[in-house]
Amino acid sequence: MSGLLYKNFYVNRASFIFSLITQAVCSLVIILMLIFTGGKELNEDVVRETIFVFTLVYYLGSMLPAMASGEVFRTDEGKPACAFVMSSPAGAKGHVESKYYYILIVNLAILFMGFLTDVFSTAMTGGMISLTLVLVLIFCWRLLVSAVEIPFMIRFGSDHGMQIKGAVVASVLMLGVIYFLFGDISWMLDAEDPIKGIMDMLQNGNTVFFIGLFPFISVAAYYLSCKLSVRIFRKGAENYEQ
Amino acid sequence: MSNSKKITVKRLVIFLILAFFPFYIIVPVMWSYFGEPIFVSENPDAAVANYCVGVFGMMIPSIAHIITRLVTKEGFKNTYLGLNTKGKMGYFAASVIAPLAYSSLTVFLIWALYMNDISFGDTFNNVNMQSIGLLMLQLGYSVICFFPAFGEEWGWRGYMMPKLMELMPKPVAVIVGGVIWGLWHAPLTVAGHNFGVDYPGYPFVGIGMMCLMCTVMNAFLTLITEKTKSVYPAAFTHALNNNLGMGIMFSLFSNEEAMQRLEGLSAIETFLPFIGTIGVVVGIVCIILLMKKDKPKEESLEKAA
Repeated sequence: MSGLLYKNFYVNRASFIFSLITQAVCSLVIILMLIFTGGKELNEDVVRETIFVFTLVYYLGSMLPAMASGEVFRTDEGKPACAFVMSSPAGAKGHVESKYYYILIVNLAILFMGFLTDVFSTAMTGGMISLTLVLVLIFCWRLLVSAVEIPFMIRFGSDHGMQIKGAVVASVLMLGVIYFLFGDISWMLDAEDPIKGIMDMLQNGNTVFFIGLFPFISVAAYYLSCKLSVRIFRKGAENYEQ
Repeated sequence: MSNSKKITVKRLVIFLILAFFPFYIIVPVMWSYFGEPIFVSENPDAAVANYCVGVFGMMIPSIAHIITRLVTKEGFKNTYLGLNTKGKMGYFAASVIAPLAYSSLTVFLIWALYMNDISFGDTFNNVNMQSIGLLMLQLGYSVICFFPAFGEEWGWRGYMMPKLMELMPKPVAVIVGGVIWGLWHAPLTVAGHNFGVDYPGYPFVGIGMMCLMCTVMNAFLTLITEKTKSVYPAAFTHALNNNLGMGIMFSLFSNEEAMQRLEGLSAIETFLPFIGTIGVVVGIVCIILLMKKDKPKEESLEKAA
C-alpha cells in the first residue's frame, strides 16, 4: 500500500505541489488582507464581512485539488495498467484504496495549511476572526464531493466521471437557484444585511443539528464510496479503451 | 549496559532536551512580558499568545522527534506513521469511543459528587437539537485538533515510549513516560493552564495532578499505539480529549444552576473525578492489556531458547 501511495504522489507531484502553492497563495492573501486592514476597527459588521470573504478565499484554495482529482485516475487508466495492478500483491483493493488515501492526504495537507493561516489570523485579530469550523466544513464538503465522483471515475473513466460530477454540481447549483427564486427566503430578506441573515439562519437550532451531522455524513460517504469503488473497479477496467 | 541500550539512552536524552527546552524558555519569557501567569491573565494579548503557544507548543515533540532522528543518524524506520488497520480496527474504534465514554462518565461523576441534590434529569435538561448539533460539530472540529494532537503524539508515543520500553519493563515505562509527559506540561501548569493558580498547594499539587493524569492517559495511548504500531489512534484520542472534555459536554447539556455550581468548584475538584475515572477504568486495564499480550512472545522466546 505505501508503495502505491508513493507512486501516486510521484506521478501526481506536479498537481500536488501546485495545490499546495495555491493554498499558500490564498493563505498569503488572507494574511496580507489582515496586515493592510490592521488599522481598521473590528466591529461586528467588519468581522462578519471578513469571515465571508475569508470563507471564499479558503474555498478557492481547496478547489484545485478537487479539480485535479481526475488526473489521479487518468494516469492509471488503460487495460495494461489495470491488469498489472490486479496481479500485484495489493490487488485492485490496494490500488483503489491508495487513490482514496492520496486524495485524503492532499485534502488534509490543504486543511493543515488553512489551519496554520487561521491560527495567525486569530492571533492578529485578537481572537475575533476564527474560521476553524468553516475549514472543517470545507474539508468535509471536499470529502463528500470526492465520495460521489470517484466511483463514477472508476466505473466510466476519469473524463466521464468528471462530466457526471459537473452534472451533479450543476444540479445542486440549479436547486439553489430555484430555491432562491421561488423558495421562502424571508430569513435573508428580513435581515438588514444578507450575510447577517445567513449567519442567523446557521445559528438556528435545527440548522446547527444538520450542520453537525454533515462531517459524519461526509466521512461515512467517503468510506462507503471506497468500498463501492473497490467492487466496481474490475468492471470499470474492462471498459477502458487500451 | 549494552551498547544498543547506551545509544537508546543517548537518543532519548537528546529528544527530551529538545522537547523540554522550548516550553521551559517561552513560558517564563511570556510571564515576565505580561507580568502575570499567562493562562489566568485577562489581557486579550495574553489570550492570543496562549492560543499560539498551545497550538505550536503541541508540535514541539514532533519537531524534537525529527531533529533527534537526524542528529543521531537513526534514520526513519519504525516511525509509527503507517495506518495498520488490518485486524486492528477495534483499537481505532476504541480511540474514538474511549475518550467520549470517559468524558460522559466524568460528567456523571461530577453530578453524583457535587450536584446530587438536583435530579439528573433537571441538571441536564438542555438536551435539544441545538445542543446535540453543537456536540456533533465539536466532534467534527476534532479534525482540526488532530494536527496539534498528532504533533504531541508522534513525539511521545511515536518516539519516547518505544525507547523507554526498550530500556525498562512496560508498566514502569508507562509510569516513567507519564511523569515525563506531565513534567513537560509543568511550565504551563505553573502559568495557570488546566488548574488556574488559586488552589491549595499551588503549583506542586497541580504539577502532581498533571503527572497523574498524564500517566493514566499514557497507559491508554501507549496501548493503542503499540497494538496498532501506528500513532494515529493516539492522536485521535488526544484530539478528542482536548476538544471534547468534560467541561464542554457539561456546558452543552446542563442548566444554568448546574453550570454555576461547576464554575464554583476549583479545577482540582473537577479534575479529581476525571483522573479517578480514567485512572481506575482505563489506566489499570490498559497496563494489564499491555502486559497480557506480551506473554505468548515471551513464551515463544523461552521455547526458542
